[in-house]
Amino acid sequence: MGLFKRLYDWIDLRIGAREIVEKELTGYLLPRNINGWYSLGSVLLVIFALQVATGTLLMIYYVPDAEKAFKSVTFIMNELPYGWLIRLCHAVGSNMMVAVLLLHMLSTMMMGSYKSPRELNWLTGFILFTLVQGISLTGYLAPWSQLSFWATTVATNSAAAIPVAGPYLVEFLRGGKLVGPPTLGRFFALHVAVMPVTIAALIGAHLFVLKRTGISTPPFGGELSRNPWPVQSYRYHGHPGGIPFFPNYLLQDLTSICIYLAIFLAVVFYAPSLLFTPDAFIPANPFQTPAHIKPEWYFLANYQTLKIFPSELLGLSVQAAAMTFLALLPFIDRSPERNPLKRPVFLVCAIGGFLLWVGLTIWGHFS
Amino acid sequence: MENDGRRKFLGVCLAGATVAAAAAALYPVFQYLAPRSGKTGADKLVFAASDIPEGEAKFFEYAGSSAVLVKTNAGVVVVLSAVCTHLGCIVQWEKDKQDFICPCHAGHYSPDGIVLSGPPPRPLAKIPFTVAGGEITVG
Repeated sequence: MGLFKRLYDWIDLRIGAREIVEKELTGYLLPRNINGWYSLGSVLLVIFALQVATGTLLMIYYVPDAEKAFKSVTFIMNELPYGWLIRLCHAVGSNMMVAVLLLHMLSTMMMGSYKSPRELNWLTGFILFTLVQGISLTGYLAPWSQLSFWATTVATNSAAAIPVAGPYLVEFLRGGKLVGPPTLGRFFALHVAVMPVTIAALIGAHLFVLKRTGISTPPFGGELSRNPWPVQSYRYHGHPGGIPFFPNYLLQDLTSICIYLAIFLAVVFYAPSLLFTPDAFIPANPFQTPAHIKPEWYFLANYQTLKIFPSELLGLSVQAAAMTFLALLPFIDRSPERNPLKRPVFLVCAIGGFLLWVGLTIWGHFS
Repeated sequence: MENDGRRKFLGVCLAGATVAAAAAALYPVFQYLAPRSGKTGADKLVFAASDIPEGEAKFFEYAGSSAVLVKTNAGVVVVLSAVCTHLGCIVQWEKDKQDFICPCHAGHYSPDGIVLSGPPPRPLAKIPFTVAGGEITVG
């Protein structure tokens, strides 16, 4: 311990480490009634770090060439020591990231944490959500299997419904009239360079905004559930008398991370086939469309919506309207009340909307 | 005091569990990244002696590295590692001078791998071979 203390003293003398720890960790106070749902952001940070780590490891052996991609993935899965583990962690992790992100957004909605003055927290989070879906979509093509090839064909084709620019947009996305080698090059560049960097930058912005506004008080547990002030000038929302982030809430973060890792590893080791249909093990064949090709589970509701409406443009417009509504939620729902039990209209809309999404997803799966 | 002992015991258990978890995570990563020794290049190669004219050299991959087979003007066969002992560049055969030169830092070796000049600290490594029935078997 003496050595650690001396090292800490040495660093403290140079950069004022104790002051940072006092301000950002032990002196960073959180509301006394904070709950476990607030730790989902930390879980997401861990997932993102794991995705970056496993993705970097995969890049060592993966070849982003239409002729070699499937073979290189097969090599990783079957011949490299623990290659299957790294690849499954990456594939399962991407799905988990979307799932946890959805939970994080749902809890933010239920706690009313998106409300003024936290509109920027919600907006940056919403953009992160769309980017995570984008990075999952672009990564889906990488194995160059029948599943990835045709799922990408279906997913990119939906943009064709946009009037005037649609068909050109699809061609631009694909780098040609159909999904082919140029698509793989584009998607690979987006997947490993553009999107991770953008996501990292937005995570930074999200955390910056969080630190500047201060964490919101959960609307449960006996304290005021209404936002306590009208936003006329900037004010940090502190929590005097609250619990310190370190060590108290860090323990909650670690607990949630461990629960997540248990679920994640259970899927990786015991149910990896959840994510892989037989088409995932056949190399892409541009001349043979498999029957019943479906996108990933988180796009099933979008996929089914397109099928329900008689016109693709209408289906796409409904989705665009729903996404815009969700993005602008803090500007539409302006009441200061944050307790969902005191907001019946919100509660009905939120639960109804969620059930609709789940219903469309199940319908899309079985249709 | 009893409380302190319990706290210390739990701390040690937690640290141990953390180290074990880190090792369990790092071991597969290490195995994944470790070079796949012996998987590239053949361990035994056979060349027809008539394929290599006198005064010429033939470069080939051997046991995951680069090697060279030389038949000197006098008809003597030598098999050497082609990796320069200075900084690992691949030496080139100079047919007219009947020696090896390393293009990186101008190290010179004789046909049997001895350092003639330049910075290489050691001769080129010799690779075992046999000549029988008009065939040169390396390895």
